[in-house]
Amino acid sequence: MAGIAQKLASNQKQVAISEFFEKNKHFLGFDSLARSLITAVKEAVDNALDACEEARILPTIRIHITKLDTKKDIVKLVVEDNGPGIPQKSIEKVFGQLLFGSRFHAIRQSRGQQGIGITGVVMYCQLTTGKTTHVRSKIATEPTAAFVDIGLDTRKNKATKSNAGREIWYNEDGTGKEHGTEVTAQMKAKYQKGRQSVWQYLRMTSIVNPHAEIIFIDPEGEKHHWTRVTERLPTKVESIKPHPHGIELGQLQRMVSESKDLNLNHFLLNNFSGVTNRARKELCQASEIEGTRKMKSIKGDDIRALLEAFQGERLFNALPVKLLKPPTNCLSPIEELLIKKGLSKTIDSRFITTLTRVPSVTQGNPFQVEVGLIFGGGMPGDKPVEILRFANRVPLMYQQGGCLLTKAIESVDWRQYGLDQAGGKGVPKGPAAILVHLASTNVQFTSEAKEALADNAEVMEEARKAMLEMGRGLRKHLEKKKKMAKTKEKFELINDILPAIAEKSAQILERPVPELSGSITKIMSAVISESTTEWNKETKNIDVEIVLFNYTSRVRAYTLLATWPEKSGATMENNDTGGRKEALGVWAWKLDSLQPGEKITISYSLSGLERGDWTETEVLFRGSQDVIGATKMDEKFLEEIRRQEQLLKESGIASPEDYSEVVETSTEPAEQKSEAIEEKVEPSVSPPDGQRTLFGGDV
Amino acid sequence: MSRMRTPEETKAAMHEVVAEMYDRIVKGEPPTMTLPVRTKNNIGFDKKLGVYKYGKKQSVRDATSLGSAKQLLRALHVVEFIEEMLDAGKSSTLREMYYISEGWGMGKFGSQNDSNNLAEDLEIVTKCLREDFKLRPEEDGARMIGNLTLRERNRRGEWMRINARDDVGDSGYGVPYNVELEKIELLEHDIDFIMAIETGGMFDRLIENGFDEEYRCGLLHLKGQPARSTRRIMKRMSEEWDLPVVVFLDGDPWSFRIFASIAYGAIKTAHISEYLATPSATYLGITADDIVAYDLPNDDLSKKDIEALNAELSDPRFADSWWQEQINMMLELGKKAEQQSLAKYGLDFVTETYLPEKLAELGLA
Repeated sequence: MAGIAQKLASNQKQVAISEFFEKNKHFLGFDSLARSLITAVKEAVDNALDACEEARILPTIRIHITKLDTKKDIVKLVVEDNGPGIPQKSIEKVFGQLLFGSRFHAIRQSRGQQGIGITGVVMYCQLTTGKTTHVRSKIATEPTAAFVDIGLDTRKNKATKSNAGREIWYNEDGTGKEHGTEVTAQMKAKYQKGRQSVWQYLRMTSIVNPHAEIIFIDPEGEKHHWTRVTERLPTKVESIKPHPHGIELGQLQRMVSESKDLNLNHFLLNNFSGVTNRARKELCQASEIEGTRKMKSIKGDDIRALLEAFQGERLFNALPVKLLKPPTNCLSPIEELLIKKGLSKTIDSRFITTLTRVPSVTQGNPFQVEVGLIFGGGMPGDKPVEILRFANRVPLMYQQGGCLLTKAIESVDWRQYGLDQAGGKGVPKGPAAILVHLASTNVQFTSEAKEALADNAEVMEEARKAMLEMGRGLRKHLEKKKKMAKTKEKFELINDILPAIAEKSAQILERPVPELSGSITKIMSAVISESTTEWNKETKNIDVEIVLFNYTSRVRAYTLLATWPEKSGATMENNDTGGRKEALGVWAWKLDSLQPGEKITISYSLSGLERGDWTETEVLFRGSQDVIGATKMDEKFLEEIRRQEQLLKESGIASPEDYSEVVETSTEPAEQKSEAIEEKVEPSVSPPDGQRTLFGGDV
Repeated sequence: MSRMRTPEETKAAMHEVVAEMYDRIVKGEPPTMTLPVRTKNNIGFDKKLGVYKYGKKQSVRDATSLGSAKQLLRALHVVEFIEEMLDAGKSSTLREMYYISEGWGMGKFGSQNDSNNLAEDLEIVTKCLREDFKLRPEEDGARMIGNLTLRERNRRGEWMRINARDDVGDSGYGVPYNVELEKIELLEHDIDFIMAIETGGMFDRLIENGFDEEYRCGLLHLKGQPARSTRRIMKRMSEEWDLPVVVFLDGDPWSFRIFASIAYGAIKTAHISEYLATPSATYLGITADDIVAYDLPNDDLSKKDIEALNAELSDPRFADSWWQEQINMMLELGKKAEQQSLAKYGLDFVTETYLPEKLAELGLA
């Protein structure tokens, strides 16, 4: 742990903007008493989550807010984490200097991103109460914790420290704390409830950080506990070098002036992503600078020329220089299954669909959009849907209307997917919540307040596509629910009512009870599919059973297809009916002749999954006669899966699932397409019991 | 159909319905029940009978949907229940049957309305009367006051002679649910016409003012939409005593419907219109032009009122020009008025001015 902690601290660079902060604190989230408290919690929690993530620790974070003076709105905030801790000598730097942070200079997805965070809190406390901020931190290799009070001299851009010392840090239960950091701050602030509150911020944080345990004690002493729903830490993100498409002049100038490279050739190859040896040559030619030129000699116009070559304004052979896309393994999406878990633990619902898009690139910056939609349950049906916006796992709580992610939601005509929306525009209404997460190495906000994402055509397009796909999922769910209810009725009809009619009429007429099979076929006049997806406690597998009934008077032939979480590392077992792989995550069985009155059962088990990972199997079919309970195969759906698979293969993007130990011969790089749908309390339909086939014969 | 059927005849008729279901199952088809379409689109004027009857449109209720299948099952339970009553010599109210259906499992009724409708369905298909099924309506019949004498067989089987003026209190003679010949005989009268009145308040006002004696009429309180027995006894008095019937109702779309069911037959009971309807009945008021002519206190038509009026415009029973004019006038006015709004001009206005004027138009006063 110490190694990491010390290494993190050694990367820090200084940028002096303390005074800028004091003048602009309203940009930084300290413009109202309520918001200041949220911002303070946010900065502390973000730091804790980031530190834990880098040190590969499952975070447990406690937040305790108490009112010290209600009249003067003085509040005490304590945030404690179990992170790696901060070495003593780095504490004052971390807490006392603006833009002090390794993250500012590294290109990768991270929460704080611009390092203005916790120092702002220290400063705010200093400005509003005159009090210093007490920090206690312990790293694993040292026996005691260091503590110190940090204040701030905003003009000198320097931290002031006092009362420094060391002590043994005891947990509540009397055991010694191994590692972690605790911040105790006093500030002028107001605790509020509602949509824009500390509670909401923590709830949202918990949704997108399913690996974190968050305990919050509010000023009324009420304890809110968001449990950890996965032991899986977010994928470790790699820093990447900047991509030429994303570079600005100032940055390039600084890189050139700070370069220790031998010459331009080396500079280009060593400091950028996406620059191959071919691209290096072409960039030199396009910018008309010799590759062997020493870096010191590259100045003003050269740098501008180089930038123009980067941006395709200077051409090579009449074409912009072709660059590789930046790698996207620097992104850490939450991933579908975990978003699902995060959502379902915080919101009661009937239906969840989540979707993680394939990473994409805008202006040299990799990004990835994830969305989730949760529907039904206890949510009010006549209010606008709740919008949960996130950037790099950080909840965005203000300026909803001005945010790109909101605009993406508003741009979709949700009426076609079963939500109310006046005029097909704006935030839809209905018992639903929509989650949008943008993971990116460079999140562009509309302002320093970092509450709304700035417009960007590519991000917008990705988010929109994700919404549309999710919308289709919702529509399918609603249609399916209707169909299921209908099917359930039909089964009730033939299993209960029809036999009763036959019996009663026979009894009144004093005649024998008639045979029902003919009537049943005529009444159903359909092929019906039923499927169950259930967790098997004993085998720790998920058992799937699909039954296809032919209630028509003719022989039927189908190809039946089922979705399964292949990309999440599941293995299909005990599939006695055989079949073949149709696409990633889609299995197919050819059923040549299904006799009238006959039923066919397909069953298999999925191993390598946890309980709740896969709760509904989508059954699709190819064939002329409609199948109740299954969806007709949309061949475009398959094409899209295959296209995305191919895309992934070509770009060579490592799958975020690469850590997975389950390696299958057929596994392609993870595709991000299929949706994870969870449905609770689905009415299950019971088939006619005790009958192998309708007519008593064998299949 | 005027005569009651024997229990055996009733059973046989019901068995035909059951056999339709049974035979279809034997043939490998979904069981069905065939009955006439019971909407205004399937009623037509029967010139011979002078009333509206169901037309030729038939609907087949087949067991391909859960709802219809349940209806068939309920019909079977009802048939069985009626057979039991016929065998035991009992009768029950429709409401009692509704509660008894609680024990019918999947065949139980969803609402009282369901059971009423099903009883009517069976009447229509079997051409039996509710009385044949030993099913009594819940609502009681009308009250009558006037110098007319009838004979009613009481529950001990004895015939009682009752004069509806001298032998009754202020609430008048209560019309029983069964007014067929085996229960009631019309003996004699000394009146010139019968007036049917919608509201109890108005009925009592006319009695208090001695209107029945002064104008030599029989007064009949309809209690809103009149029960079958109310309509049946009006019909009998009108035919057997050859008396004109005038109908005095509120001035709103619902009153028009009440009148239509009295004079032409109700849509729901069009299968027995010739027993219930009094084609010679006349609508006395309140008419749309009364609202204007008497400057009556009024209310705005509600959305539902307007819908009802528009529906009446396309109802064959209101196809004649007088009704079309009245309905359109009410739509134009956008107003409706109650009978008792006549009290604007004092308690005696109705008996001293309004009714005499209206009756004079008809040559009855």
